[in-house]
Amino acid sequence: MLFAPELVLLLGSLLLFFLSLGESDGKGARNVTILLGLAGFVLSIITLFQEGSLFMGAYRIDLFSQLFKVLIAVGMTCVVIFDGEMKGISARMRPEYYLFLTLSCMGLMLLVSSVELITMFVALELSSYSLYLMVPMRDDTGGIRFQMEAAIKYILFGIIATGAMLYGMSYLFGLTGSTHLEVVVPKIIELSASSPAAILGIALFMFGFFYKLAVFPFHFWVPDVYEGAANSTTAFIASVPKLGAVAILIRLVVMVGPTGGDALVNLLIVLALCSMFYGNLSALVQTDVKRMLGFSGISHAGYVLLGLLTLKDSGFATSIYYIAGYLVMNLACFLVICKVSKNGENVSIDDLSGLHQRAPLLALTLGVGMFALAGIPPFVGFMGKFMLLTGAYKAGHLTLVILAALNTAIAIYYYLSVVRIAFCNDPDERPSVSVDPMTKLVSVFLMVVIIAMGVAPAKVLELATTAVRSIL
Amino acid sequence: MLNLSAQLNTYLVIGAMLFGFGVCGLIRRPTLIGMLIAAELVLCGASINFMAFNHFLAPDPTVGQIMTLFIMAIAAAEAAIAMSILVCIYRDYKSIELENLEELSG
Repeated sequence: MLFAPELVLLLGSLLLFFLSLGESDGKGARNVTILLGLAGFVLSIITLFQEGSLFMGAYRIDLFSQLFKVLIAVGMTCVVIFDGEMKGISARMRPEYYLFLTLSCMGLMLLVSSVELITMFVALELSSYSLYLMVPMRDDTGGIRFQMEAAIKYILFGIIATGAMLYGMSYLFGLTGSTHLEVVVPKIIELSASSPAAILGIALFMFGFFYKLAVFPFHFWVPDVYEGAANSTTAFIASVPKLGAVAILIRLVVMVGPTGGDALVNLLIVLALCSMFYGNLSALVQTDVKRMLGFSGISHAGYVLLGLLTLKDSGFATSIYYIAGYLVMNLACFLVICKVSKNGENVSIDDLSGLHQRAPLLALTLGVGMFALAGIPPFVGFMGKFMLLTGAYKAGHLTLVILAALNTAIAIYYYLSVVRIAFCNDPDERPSVSVDPMTKLVSVFLMVVIIAMGVAPAKVLELATTAVRSIL
Repeated sequence: MLNLSAQLNTYLVIGAMLFGFGVCGLIRRPTLIGMLIAAELVLCGASINFMAFNHFLAPDPTVGQIMTLFIMAIAAAEAAIAMSILVCIYRDYKSIELENLEELSG
């Protein structure tokens, strides 16, 4: 029962593999994937408060891992539902596309539960390789070929990030003689005050996950991959894998202990500031909505680091809260992009003109998503940023808090200009956008979650804090 | 002789050099195949580190070997994926030179 969510996805991906062998247009595969996502969600909820350890201590089920599994399942289901027509992927590839999507989610679910270095590495690579294959699957009949360029950039830099991560792992293994985190963590906490090799090991280990989270200077794949991949692929890459990255980063940051590791905190401060400034300033000049959201994603990764660098369990809990919020806000924006795009082409900001007349519900979703990303109350983005900033302030990083607040102000400009174009410009002959009932349901669900998490954050935070305490 | 082969540091230096060559090669190589080979060197550097630590320090001398085997298997999978993408690139662009691939300006 403990392993049920992963097991369902594993069996489901076998089923999808058999579906991909025959000729089909992907409708069956899509229904299977939606059912798998829902089953994963329900099973993760059922096992939410269970605990246990599997595979000789390499795999741990606790509130922390199950919470992330719930979020991963939500992300997966939403992405599959709202891109129903799969406009960006040619028909014969769709079953395989769903196979890789499911495998990627399974890899992430394995990743958040693994407490052993080999398991962690294999799970991470399972999820990454599926993503590398999803990028070049974009339909090339219209003469689009830059998805290939995006894919090769993504995989080559991904290998380097993996290599750096393995190199860091090897030092942790050398210093402690074990690959089990329960042995590694206490020894490294002891060593991190005195040994530079331990800090180097943790920092290099983190690089692999900074890459997934798109923290500066591991961001260079982001704009290219976001622009090159099909809209639904980008929606997935932009939201779900970041959950896994944050989960493991929290497990790693715990290693430096509550007191030691000034060097690591300074590193995180520099990375957070660079990510925020680089992401926000670059996003100001973008005309393609996906590229803009990519750069905004880099700055949001910087905000997530604010919670990690406090080295306190309250800070880690806020990071979880923020990344959960980021998942729903981002999905809301990408839902609109997927629907507005007529034949799967990229959407420029001008294409959103007059959206309030062409599709009122989509315009509302876009508005809520953008306001939330900008950090305006009462949405989840505001509460998240507010708590991250107060947490960092209490930990004594005043300069950092001032610069981060400045960044929030820069970000408001480009988010709100999108909303202005959607609501204040005339549609000018642009056709209306049809939205199927399932997508309507998802967009209402996302809006409700964005508002509910923003208005009543206490319950979610409490759950996140308990989850973080369970791994300390 | 200096008895270098019986010292941990020798292997760590080799590992670090391979890592450095890999990163350097990835930045400097003009073709995608060259970049892929350079990327493999990075993984080799990590593997050598694991084997060295495993031989000289680890209490249980199987763990590092298993890790290295996993790295080799995963590296093979990754090379297959990268090569398949390269085939697609060659089909679309008729080139695997980096300078011909600049439609995206990230």
